[in-house]
Amino acid sequence: MYSLSNKQIDYILDDIRARGIEMESLQGDLLDHICCIIEHNLEANGDFESFYNKTITSFYKKELREIEEETISLLTFKHYYQMKKLMIISGGFSVAAFIGGSFLKIMHWPGASMLLLLAILTASLIFLPLMFVLKVREVGSTRDKVVTGLGTFFGIISSLGTLFKIMHWPYANIMMFVGLTAFMFLFVPIYFFTGIRNPETKVNVIVSSVIYILAGGLIFSLIDLRNHEPEHAMKMYAYIQNEALLHKIQQNSKDSIAQNIEIQSINKTAEELKSMILENGTGEKNIPQDFEAKNLVMQEGQMGAFFVDIPRASQLLADLNAKITAYNATQNGANKIAMEHSILSLAPYELRNYTNYFILNNISQLQFQLINVPKTLVATK
Amino acid sequence: MYKILMYLCVIIKIHIMIYATELIKGTLKTIVLKQLADNPRMYGYEITQKVKELTFDKIQITEGALYPTLHALEEDGLVTTEVEYIGKRVRKYYRLSPTGKTKTEEKISEIADFIETLRFLLDIKPAI
Repeated sequence: MYSLSNKQIDYILDDIRARGIEMESLQGDLLDHICCIIEHNLEANGDFESFYNKTITSFYKKELREIEEETISLLTFKHYYQMKKLMIISGGFSVAAFIGGSFLKIMHWPGASMLLLLAILTASLIFLPLMFVLKVREVGSTRDKVVTGLGTFFGIISSLGTLFKIMHWPYANIMMFVGLTAFMFLFVPIYFFTGIRNPETKVNVIVSSVIYILAGGLIFSLIDLRNHEPEHAMKMYAYIQNEALLHKIQQNSKDSIAQNIEIQSINKTAEELKSMILENGTGEKNIPQDFEAKNLVMQEGQMGAFFVDIPRASQLLADLNAKITAYNATQNGANKIAMEHSILSLAPYELRNYTNYFILNNISQLQFQLINVPKTLVATK
Repeated sequence: MYKILMYLCVIIKIHIMIYATELIKGTLKTIVLKQLADNPRMYGYEITQKVKELTFDKIQITEGALYPTLHALEEDGLVTTEVEYIGKRVRKYYRLSPTGKTKTEEKISEIADFIETLRFLLDIKPAI
């Protein structure tokens, strides 16, 4: 029976720490364990150092750190099976949602975009990260871990980019572009060249690489990389010119307009409605002179639920409709304002597919018709 | 010549009788839990010695497998720990928690069932 001195105990503890055991409780466990072995097996006059060295080497295969790594791995992955289950469930759900959403979309049935949105969210935020965490544990080398990480990361970026795109959120194009470019030009080559070296995985890697490139290439060919700013500015210029023209003609015939309270009221409603649409697109009620410098160019886009969700907008539209109908009742023949083929012939929910510029211009066109009428009235008098 | 053969047999037999780590791995948790169920509280070294003694040296739990398992059991709430100072060093005693007790029974009956299945599957004749 050997009796350990305090100095020897410190020596053992220092050695355990130096060999890479950082968890304090594990240090304590191992220290006590080694001390027990020495006390029970070393004779009172035995050689401490050589016995200690022999004992400690019997604790591991390559190095003592293994024990700590195994402990951490057991503690981290105690939820391994739940994670695996969740990965399978989320993968299954997103596939089902993709198929269901696509089907609804083909049939023009409601709920399609909601399902597709859920599918993308589940795939990119639950399935792919879990797949990475679980897969990394299985692959052996650091190189394979990095390749898996790269693939997952770029996959998530591309997938979220698509989500941003359909939600019309900012930076969607740049996300898709960066994600896909990195996926195709960085991940796939690395995956391919590291994978074909291993005869076991060679065929698999070649086939997978071809499929990755095919899928990436198809999406790439769909991405729009053109600069759309001139197009938006063009629409804006046309609208501004149109408004200038309207106001000029209105100015020229202001005497006749001033006499007619009905026309004034219609114009007032029309202007307010136009302001609302502009505010919806640019954040400003009117287009300032330096709208380009202020980055207030309105992008052409469908109105969506604007006339359904915003009470004031649907109210103004109904008012405009009622006022023009009332006005038409007082006019005859050619003096009536043509309501067919205008936004007034459409129900608010039907307007969701019409663009902001179409509606703005259409309102102005209705206002133009009002100007001509009093003039002819004046002429016939 | 005969003697040498005998010696060889003994050496081979000893090697076979210490079970491979792969065999022990799946049952280690249960083995540890069972020791803690039979004793009020134990520390790491004590567990390895007890198992070694009970199995006539056939099962030797390595330190590299024991402590990760004990820590995992603690994390899962199946065992609790208490610390005692022995001179300059700390000794950690492990004790079965109430959930650990039920879990031990579950695990043991699971293994018993597994052994039965193995016996049938591998066509092992019961030793007479």
